[in-house]
Amino acid sequence: MAWIVLIIAGLFEVFGVTMINKVNDKPTAANISLFILGFAGSFGCLSYSMASLPMGTAYAIWTGIGTAGGAIVGMLFFRESKDWKRIICIAMILAAAVGLKLIA
Amino acid sequence: MTKQWLYVLLAGIIEVLWVIGLKHASNFWEWTGTVVCILLSFYLMMQASKHLPVGTVYALFVGIGSTGTVIADMLFFGEPFRLAKVVLITLLLAGVIGLKLVTGDNRKEESM
Repeated sequence: MAWIVLIIAGLFEVFGVTMINKVNDKPTAANISLFILGFAGSFGCLSYSMASLPMGTAYAIWTGIGTAGGAIVGMLFFRESKDWKRIICIAMILAAAVGLKLIA
Repeated sequence: MTKQWLYVLLAGIIEVLWVIGLKHASNFWEWTGTVVCILLSFYLMMQASKHLPVGTVYALFVGIGSTGTVIADMLFFGEPFRLAKVVLITLLLAGVIGLKLVTGDNRKEESM
């Protein structure tokens, strides 16, 4: 159960990151509310899952889903650069951030 | 352009403060400061993402936050210093510098 909630936390985060794109395009009250909802839902689910999962693992998976998901959504739907050099750099940052959370 | 990168850097540094706050805040003023830091770091990240790709900004934000938190834990909260941490931080910095180099002045590709 905690694992499912953790994955939902990651999906909420991707949704929140997507809404940053939307808010930048159109800063309407609805978009800003959805952006806040995304991150609030994400933090809520994350802290719930951390009650039964090891904190470093939960944090690492959450970071991984959110960052990779945010980058993929940006490339697929918001015309962000798909340059392989950019993808490798993001992957390096992501691998390092996940690694740091796992060993911390 | 460079201003946006400074915003992300600042957002990441402030993120470290609120992560510390979430862990250690114990009274009203510390919690208030933590909430102010959360709002400020997200605000700066939003400002930066107006001119940089959101995927890039978010990866930087998360990366700087993780690095800063690990460094702060080692410096101020007695966490052990480990070589693996330094290796990962180096990898992360290489990724950040690489991203800075490949991110052009145009915010998004014109063609898919």
